[in-house]
Amino acid sequence: MTEQKYYEFLDYAQQREVLFYYVGYFSQNIISTMAETVRLHLETNGVPASTRRRLFSSFVEMAQNIVHYSAASLPSPQDGEIRYGSVCIGREGDNYFLLCANPVEAAELERLRSRLDSLSQMSLEDIKQAYKVSLRAQTPEGSKGADLGFLTVARDASAPLQSSFRNSGPDGQAMFYLKAII
Amino acid sequence: MSSANTENIHLPASASTPLVDFRFDAHQLRLEGESYPENAAAFYGPLAEGLKAYVAGLQGGEQVEVHVALSYFNSSSTKMLFGLFDTLNQAAEQGHRIALHWYHDKEDDIAEEFGEELHVDFPALAFHAHPAD
Repeated sequence: MTEQKYYEFLDYAQQREVLFYYVGYFSQNIISTMAETVRLHLETNGVPASTRRRLFSSFVEMAQNIVHYSAASLPSPQDGEIRYGSVCIGREGDNYFLLCANPVEAAELERLRSRLDSLSQMSLEDIKQAYKVSLRAQTPEGSKGADLGFLTVARDASAPLQSSFRNSGPDGQAMFYLKAII
Repeated sequence: MSSANTENIHLPASASTPLVDFRFDAHQLRLEGESYPENAAAFYGPLAEGLKAYVAGLQGGEQVEVHVALSYFNSSSTKMLFGLFDTLNQAAEQGHRIALHWYHDKEDDIAEEFGEELHVDFPALAFHAHPAD
């Protein structure tokens, strides 16, 4: 990327009121450092506490979802996982939005798509009810809690979650996008 | 074995895990700070084990005080916390006196609602909400 292109990239982000953008590898350490910064940013910009809580919560759920589920990873020297993805926070009119993206394996695609499709059809009452059920249910063996994570983001959002998939390689991997308007 | 023999658990807070101060010998249990560990089951598992051993050894007559002041807890922590409170509630149903003090920012409606749900789900616990500025 030339310097000129980088300026254009930064201008583009500014025009779209992007407050925060990260692309690359996510680890728990990176998430907690970014989370601190996001919280400070929202506090100093006078964002109301209940909106802050929802943005912060959705940010952490999305970022941890990448660490747990992205199909692209680095070998980690320690216990934790390091996986690839992107998170973006911005403003759109009177609302804040969060976007995240990460590659998913072909085998995971249909399950994820049907889960998010059904989530997007649910009313807030349905979402709260499903959250209560999921909270009390036994966690399936090997689950890292994605179901409750998506329900948490859906509960915190002010509109149905938007998701899409884009084929990104011959091996059937797809890029998964998720948007939450807070 | 009396619950006074259950080993106390003390863990300092980290950026994404709360301070844990389970003084089983004094019947005072405290969780305070942030909770979004990478692996909530791994973090809360030993706490759940310690708590189960503790309540199993309660003699009756003790007053157990549980203080939970979490400024943020992610979805997988929520699930683990729910399990801890379930353990406490079952002990309270057997006649042990257990109070749950739930501290939250008064503007944080999510933490407030979760507290209300705990109150409804675990009626044997004496529930005290503490909204703060």
